[in-house]
Amino acid sequence: MLSSFNQTPFLHTVITIGSLLLLTIGLVGALSKKNLFKIFLSLAIAEASLFIYFIGMHFEVGKIAPIVTDEVIQFSSNMVDPVPQAMILTTIVIAIAVLALALSFIINYFKLTNNMRVDEMNELGEGR
Amino acid sequence: MSLKRNITIETLVISLLVSIMTIILMGLFLDFETTTLSIGTEVLKNNEAVTKSANAVTSVVTYFRGFDTLGEVTILFLSIFGIGLGLEGYKEKLNIFAYDNNLLKIAVDVLFPLIILFGFYVIIHGHLSPGGGFQGGVIIASAFLLMFLAKNNDFSLNHKIMELIEALSGASFILIGVLGLLIVNRFFDNFLPLGEIGKLFSGGVIPLIYIFVGLKVSAEITALVEYFIRIKDVE
Repeated sequence: MLSSFNQTPFLHTVITIGSLLLLTIGLVGALSKKNLFKIFLSLAIAEASLFIYFIGMHFEVGKIAPIVTDEVIQFSSNMVDPVPQAMILTTIVIAIAVLALALSFIINYFKLTNNMRVDEMNELGEGR
Repeated sequence: MSLKRNITIETLVISLLVSIMTIILMGLFLDFETTTLSIGTEVLKNNEAVTKSANAVTSVVTYFRGFDTLGEVTILFLSIFGIGLGLEGYKEKLNIFAYDNNLLKIAVDVLFPLIILFGFYVIIHGHLSPGGGFQGGVIIASAFLLMFLAKNNDFSLNHKIMELIEALSGASFILIGVLGLLIVNRFFDNFLPLGEIGKLFSGGVIPLIYIFVGLKVSAEITALVEYFIRIKDVE
């Protein structure tokens, strides 16, 4: 019975639904929270769903990591595609850079205006 | 403030709809039928002959898409640069997140060199095992984070050495690319002897590139950690 779970279509379905749920969690946080920190951390959670989806959909049952070791002597078609993993590595680093820049902007904004809530931002004079 | 007020039905419905549409769009763009010919199979077929690197992901990151990695490191550098612009003229800042814990203070002296050593191990073995420059750099930065948490304001970084490491490693990274352009006629091409697959001295320029990327990333993430942990102005 357990072997039916260890099939590629089943794992792909689980990964799709899970990343959908994670994207929903991130978007709910980003849309409903008022604190700027919580908004940007929710966007980071939504980004994580993309990573899981991209890596997970390129996995197939029975394939191994694309690394030559003592047991695996040579590269073969029995290995996972290495290109998506390298692309997601790039994406993760860029996500960290953008998140850090956004958080530093929030800190400086708080130092200048003593305010961290989106619905009380009024620097451009709108909404009076 | 109750949960009901924060999350209305509207936001739930909108975010569900947006995420469903995003997934459908991704499914349209990325049609997952297993094809026999893709870039991945091509890379796996040629990797052993071209790069002699045991880790195919590393050879994609540093060799086949080396220009991409240069852009990635540039983005990381620009983000740290933008964070540094927010600093108010190198004023003395106080650490507000430190634990005043004697056990941690003693243990960190033992743990700090071990974590640094592990980070360098991950960086240097990037072409043989999972890991590499980015991962090892973050491990080294985590050692400095532990140091900041344990030793309150007694521990501070020498900014000149950090900037020197960052600048020199970034410049050497580009220098390797330009040397490849001059000698072998391709940016980030291999101009060193390839060696035997699976050994430490193999892969040509790949370990060199990853060592420089690791040094640069560790210096940058350490500066980032220091910025976020020393945030309070000295009165």
